[in-house]
Amino acid sequence: MARIEKATGRCLCGAVAFEAKDVKTRYGVCHCGMCRRWTGGPFPGVEAPGGVTYSGEENIGLYRGSDWGERGFCKTCGSTLFWRAQDGSHLVLPVGAFDDQEPFELVSEIFIDKKPPGYAFAGEHKTMTEAEVFAMFAPPADGGEQP
Amino acid sequence: MGAPIDNAAGRCLCGAVRFRAARVAAEVHACHCGMCRRWSGGPELAVEAGTEVVFEGAENIAVFRSSDWAERAFCRICGSHLFFRTIETGGYSISPGLFDDESAFVLTEEIFIDHKPAFYGFAQATEKLIEAEVIEKYAPKTGTEEQG
Repeated sequence: MARIEKATGRCLCGAVAFEAKDVKTRYGVCHCGMCRRWTGGPFPGVEAPGGVTYSGEENIGLYRGSDWGERGFCKTCGSTLFWRAQDGSHLVLPVGAFDDQEPFELVSEIFIDKKPPGYAFAGEHKTMTEAEVFAMFAPPADGGEQP
Repeated sequence: MGAPIDNAAGRCLCGAVRFRAARVAAEVHACHCGMCRRWSGGPELAVEAGTEVVFEGAENIAVFRSSDWAERAFCRICGSHLFFRTIETGGYSISPGLFDDESAFVLTEEIFIDHKPAFYGFAQATEKLIEAEVIEKYAPKTGTEEQG
């Protein structure tokens, strides 16, 4: 699977910048209601198993949508910065935040059963329902979406 | 084209900001400009809600002036994107995902299509506008390479 060793990005105003390591170029979008309420559309999440370091970290706002997930945003401009598991096991970064987006490729759509009928992505992608996502990641059974 | 929706209610993810729009268009547009994608992560979806939008918890609304002619607002508590607004008209563009009932919304237009990266695309048949056409149609006062 194609990966980028090191990739940089930033929020809209530049108050928060990051460097991510071992970035997967094949990414997925999340159609869950929480992601769509949060970002304004389906959330395109890029995995970076090598971790991410921030500059301007003091400008990051954190919101815990559940007992196991948390969402980061820039407190100055409101840009979406990440979704991550509170235990550090999983982190996704928004594809639009990266400085060079050329290498990315949309390959999967999760919470496809939560997607409203009014839009759809073109092309063939692997899809997963809410139940399939939960079975794969086995979060606590508190139900509902990618909190 | 769907009928506009009257008296449409919505809220941010944490519920600190709630709103009610007197009349909202059912047609959704997607903006592919680099600023929208930098802000939200992907193409920003929005419906036109005019100027008659009443907010509850307005003290939790943070506003970022992203250009000379537009501003973007988000919830201070959870970071949810609340609206995009042009300063001149004061008209709110609000994401369909914020509304309690999304069933009537349909994607009909894609703007800044020439700024869309190649790695995703929407399946719907939509009206597609390049930057120059967006500026002509919506006529912001000064030319800009992004939505603002």
